[in-house]
Amino acid sequence: MTDPLALDPVLPVRERSQRPWNDDLPHDERFRLFEEHVIAGGKVEATDWMPDEYRTGVLRFVEMHANSELMGVLPEREWIMRAPTLRRKLALTAKVQDEVGHAQLLYRVAEDLGKPREAMLEDLIAGKTKFHNVFHYPTRSWGDIGIIAWLVDAAAIVAQQALRDSSYAPYARTMQKICWEESVHIMHGRDVVVTLMTGTDAQRAMVQEALDRWWGPLMQMHGPRGDRARDRDLHWRIKAKTSEELRQEFLTIYVPRLRELGLVIPDPDLDYDASAKTWRYTEPDWNELRTVVTNHGPKSEERLEFRRINREETRWVRDSILGAASVAA
Amino acid sequence: MASARKPAAGHRLEPWEVFQQAKEGDPMRHGGNVLAPDADLATHYARELYGRRQESHRLWIVRRADIRVLEDADLLDPPLDRSFKKPGGYVMRGKLEAARAKAGTEKPRARSEGHDRTGGRRSAGDQA
Amino acid sequence: MTGAVLALDPRLRTALAELVLTMADDEFVSGFTDSEWTGIAPILEEDVAMSSISQDELGHAKALFELLATVLDDGRDADALAYDRQPDEYRHARLLDHARGDWADTIARRFLYEIADEARLASIGTGYPPLANLVEKLRREERYHRMHATVWIDRLANGGAEPRRRLEAALAALSVDAATVFTPLAGEADLLEAGVVTRSLAAAEAAWRGDLTSILVPLGLRVPPAAAEPPVDGRSNHSEAFRWLWGEFTTVRRLDPTAVW
Repeated sequence: MTDPLALDPVLPVRERSQRPWNDDLPHDERFRLFEEHVIAGGKVEATDWMPDEYRTGVLRFVEMHANSELMGVLPEREWIMRAPTLRRKLALTAKVQDEVGHAQLLYRVAEDLGKPREAMLEDLIAGKTKFHNVFHYPTRSWGDIGIIAWLVDAAAIVAQQALRDSSYAPYARTMQKICWEESVHIMHGRDVVVTLMTGTDAQRAMVQEALDRWWGPLMQMHGPRGDRARDRDLHWRIKAKTSEELRQEFLTIYVPRLRELGLVIPDPDLDYDASAKTWRYTEPDWNELRTVVTNHGPKSEERLEFRRINREETRWVRDSILGAASVAA
Repeated sequence: MASARKPAAGHRLEPWEVFQQAKEGDPMRHGGNVLAPDADLATHYARELYGRRQESHRLWIVRRADIRVLEDADLLDPPLDRSFKKPGGYVMRGKLEAARAKAGTEKPRARSEGHDRTGGRRSAGDQA
Repeated sequence: MTGAVLALDPRLRTALAELVLTMADDEFVSGFTDSEWTGIAPILEEDVAMSSISQDELGHAKALFELLATVLDDGRDADALAYDRQPDEYRHARLLDHARGDWADTIARRFLYEIADEARLASIGTGYPPLANLVEKLRREERYHRMHATVWIDRLANGGAEPRRRLEAALAALSVDAATVFTPLAGEADLLEAGVVTRSLAAAEAAWRGDLTSILVPLGLRVPPAAAEPPVDGRSNHSEAFRWLWGEFTTVRRLDPTAVW
């Protein structure tokens, strides 16, 4: 019989994959091991031990994302009723449905981190948690619908693609599904815009007017340039790219596509600096961003109130689904 | 007249995991999960969130609490070498060169993949 | 398909167009009203489900309007038929004039309509093959809608005092207009003779009542009583709620009906 110890291992003995921070060690030790793992590109699952800072960081990030999907429904919802053809109505309904589905997926990820969905919805309505700036503005015409579906979703997808490699694996996996679904929205939005731009003078003017109003919020959407070294979300690899990197990526792809349609971007200083390989632009109004995301935007109060009333009116349905145990707990 | 049937006491929302088969014959892949109070609604919601786009040929819907998880490193990644169980554990290049040298033969031209997955176009000229 | 249309004599063409118009308008208005729940349904998952149902209905309306366009052959396409009429020219059942209301109102309306639509679709024969082929597809999709509606009727009836009260009130409010899906059509005799339909609307209504009884009675719910006379204006004289809806859904289109959107 062959002596097992005499077998010549062809490959070197691997380090066993371990998740030592899941063992009962002193906190500082666990923190250090976890941090090393994440910084090296390692993934975290819902059932792993996490430092509080990481857990709260991910939860805040995912919660804001979920809130944004849910609030993002409202600006477009009104136009579902007004879509001018059967096909557009179907496409817009499907798009808004997807946003609701994304909210569901993201709230699920956040719930598995320990915060109940009802608590998140209460906090959103009470103004304790935030949602993205673009969803605090009014929609005034069918032109807005094309611009939003195309460019807001495009700006979002630029951010979401970068998140597909997030250290928090449940979030990363959800991003993959969401990115795939969002790509259809962008095509729908672009189709609406292109159709209008090949139409009547009035239709072209409608799109340009919408772009004039939405360009500012779009440029603010990814957030102010931050200090990379002090960004905790980057440190924990919850996200992988900075605000400026995302904005530059967005401009690189979409400015040429806007210009090819004959649309004028309402920033005379917007220009690509080939030597620096970077887009120059008028500094976005960061005061406006701050005002808006703290729920002082043009439509913030109205939309939160709308959600609050809607929740009250439909509470009886949720209670009945659960029978004896109500979710409100 | 039927009496109103009350839902089971302690009815709770629970996560149900959803597995999808994209098309016939494909493996089941984990898609995500839904929160539901019972199997019927879990199925209904699974269809909506993981099948409304005709992207699934089949769905499996399972209560998360019913799934047994094994992630014990001692069982799944034990320390002693087990490379004899994997293709990477059989690197023969040196030995083949030696055997050809001894027999005075040339390396045959790769035509098609052998059952040990060598010799195909991808590894043409290198029958490792 | 053109061959089948040419084979229609003027009387049958008129009768067929009327039938298809009522079916298309029913699905169109129903789908529109249901789509209002998108983004604001009681539970996120149910939001997605109701949205799918409304999209299905609009898809059915689109297919039916497309079929109608070939039957009428008057230069109008599906969008023109769907959008470019005055409110009084719509021929949907008055059951569908009722506003979205709360969740119980919607479920009650959906339930009454789905069971009626099922009875109507089961009445379509092979006399006009393009319609028969389309109806075969519609019936397969409608299975899901029927499942959804009956499950929710059950959940509301058995979900406690409040849901039950709301459901009973909703069914009562819809009671007068419940049977308007079966409003008599002027050309019914021609449709029966040509085999486009296999039974009268009155017979379909009887089947509908039987179906309602078998579901509602065991739940302790009242079946809407049959009216002494079938409603004469069951598909006209539409409500303020519908006029508001029409105003909304034609807003953008009326900016320029000749433009491409």
